[in-house]
Amino acid sequence: MELAALQQASDQPRGRLSELVERLVYPFRRGEPPEPRPATGFYTDTTVCIGCKACEVACKQWNQLPSDGFIWSGNSYDNTSELSATTWRHVKFIEQFGEGSSAERGSMDVTVSDHNRWLMMSDVCKHCLAAPCHQACPTGAIIHNEFENVYIQADICNGCSCCVAACPFGVITRSNMGGHSHKCTLCYDRQRDGLEPACAKACPTQSIHFGPLDELREMAHNRVEELHRRGVPEAYLYGDVASDTYSELHSFYLLVDRPSVYGLPDNPFNPWLHMMGDYVRSVAGGLAAIGALLVVVVLLRS
Amino acid sequence: MNLPVTKAPAWHGTIAWDALLNGMATGLFMAGGVSELAAPAIFTPVAIVAYPVALVLLLIDLGLLVSDLGDPLRFHHMLRIFKPRSPMSVGTWCLSIFSLPLTAAAGLSLLSEIGINFEWARILAVIVGLPFGFGSAAYKGVLLSTNAQPGWRDARWMGGYLTNSAILIGCAELLLLSALIGRAQATAILRTAFIVLLVINTIPLGLLFADLQPTHARLYTHGQQWLVGVLMFAAATIIPLGLALYSDSFPFVVGAVIFLLFGSWVIRFVYVKIPHTSLI
Ligand code: SF4
Ligand code: SF4
Ligand code: SF4
Repeated sequence: MELAALQQASDQPRGRLSELVERLVYPFRRGEPPEPRPATGFYTDTTVCIGCKACEVACKQWNQLPSDGFIWSGNSYDNTSELSATTWRHVKFIEQFGEGSSAERGSMDVTVSDHNRWLMMSDVCKHCLAAPCHQACPTGAIIHNEFENVYIQADICNGCSCCVAACPFGVITRSNMGGHSHKCTLCYDRQRDGLEPACAKACPTQSIHFGPLDELREMAHNRVEELHRRGVPEAYLYGDVASDTYSELHSFYLLVDRPSVYGLPDNPFNPWLHMMGDYVRSVAGGLAAIGALLVVVVLLRS
Repeated sequence: MNLPVTKAPAWHGTIAWDALLNGMATGLFMAGGVSELAAPAIFTPVAIVAYPVALVLLLIDLGLLVSDLGDPLRFHHMLRIFKPRSPMSVGTWCLSIFSLPLTAAAGLSLLSEIGINFEWARILAVIVGLPFGFGSAAYKGVLLSTNAQPGWRDARWMGGYLTNSAILIGCAELLLLSALIGRAQATAILRTAFIVLLVINTIPLGLLFADLQPTHARLYTHGQQWLVGVLMFAAATIIPLGLALYSDSFPFVVGAVIFLLFGSWVIRFVYVKIPHTSLI
């Protein structure tokens, strides 16, 4: 068939007024919400990560994210430094070379001390069950989609940055290009087509596991038990269950050192736990002032 | 690895001006409204000057708020939902609704200046506007304290201070307008109210300062902490109080209001900048 004979799917060109009206009206349109599907997420086993960055590259490639430039970070093999609006996966490198280590002695043989190790962790949005970014978002751009993943509707976000301020993990970032916030979508487009996320697919060591959350949790607990049996008693899961101050994470981790070593908060805190009290104090402060003003005016008016 | 975990939002000096102008606009409207409703014979002539000034201040503030968005042309997306759990959503709705009775009150005030008097309508607009003006002032501090940023997340009294301070600033502006148009009785009453409110405001300011003491200790040297504390309390409280107590003459009223505004701006600027200054 001739290309020209195919039905054109693009919108008809609009006039200026019609374009303006469309811009004003379309955010208020509501579509049918999709049927809920089993909750999915990530379980990342940091003990098998080899720092190859295949996940970073796969994410960039699938989501057509631009390069961050050729920057020498000076921090181990890390060259993207942090999660950002254009880096939705970031492999962290933590060098733990103790006193008297081969590295300090100038030796090239870094295997001589048991205490020397390199921790690697592929970091991503935690897809928090009660996500502060979602709670903060005033436009409703951030939603929990049918897979219970935290998803930003890019055509709705207006770049107010409330989500950036709210995220305790420093994940979400406002882009300088376009001014909207971006982060991992948990490959929503791929999931809808029955594919696994690009990063998990690319991971050669199966450090990144993707799947239904109950399966992931079971797999992760088995792995922790196995590591304990094999002489790694410090292995534990971060974020698989809720704490007193934070919900469970739908992207949780197996770690072998304190969370802060990996650049994660030791005790994540959901700021919304304070909100009602803060409103009460705010209203009380205002009412006290209005009351005082009123008393002075009433007492002195005659 | 001792890097900050959170990312600071791109809220800079504009937001400090926004926090000040928000207080100036909402505070002036509320101080004018409350005074007028309590003693119309004394305060109506001052209030009808105050409402148009409050509207101008609010328009500048809204301009700053919109321009600070990553995509200002999408400002109206804020109004596609109302989300009580999002302080920004609460604030945007309060400000948007507040702007309507404020515009009505300001317009009717200007009409009354040229002899077209719809006093009942203006009073109605003021009554309708008061709760939304209050909401517009009250959300700001909660927006700054309900997030994960170092310092802000500990500032339990940010909202208490900013809302209290908005009324104080509004009273100061009303006092200045009253003195400017030569309303002696209103000026005398407002001067007393100003002094009382200045004293009361030291309570939430002190509590906020105590909340942020660990943050100050982390960000500043001992000497700098003293400087910040003295600058805040001196400019925003002690100097305006001294000037207002010393004399009721016009230059002293102007001086007191200018120092209060300057001190209030310094406090907002220092606290808005905290996440950008933080080391961890
Ligand atoms: S990690 Fe941050 S950006 Fe991701 S869902 Fe949680 S709060 Fe939102
Ligand atoms: S920047 Fe966008 S996604 Fe983030 S809170 Fe604002 S509107 Fe929502
Ligand atoms: S799930 Fe998709 S968007 Fe998220 S980090 Fe992996 S590849 Fe990137």
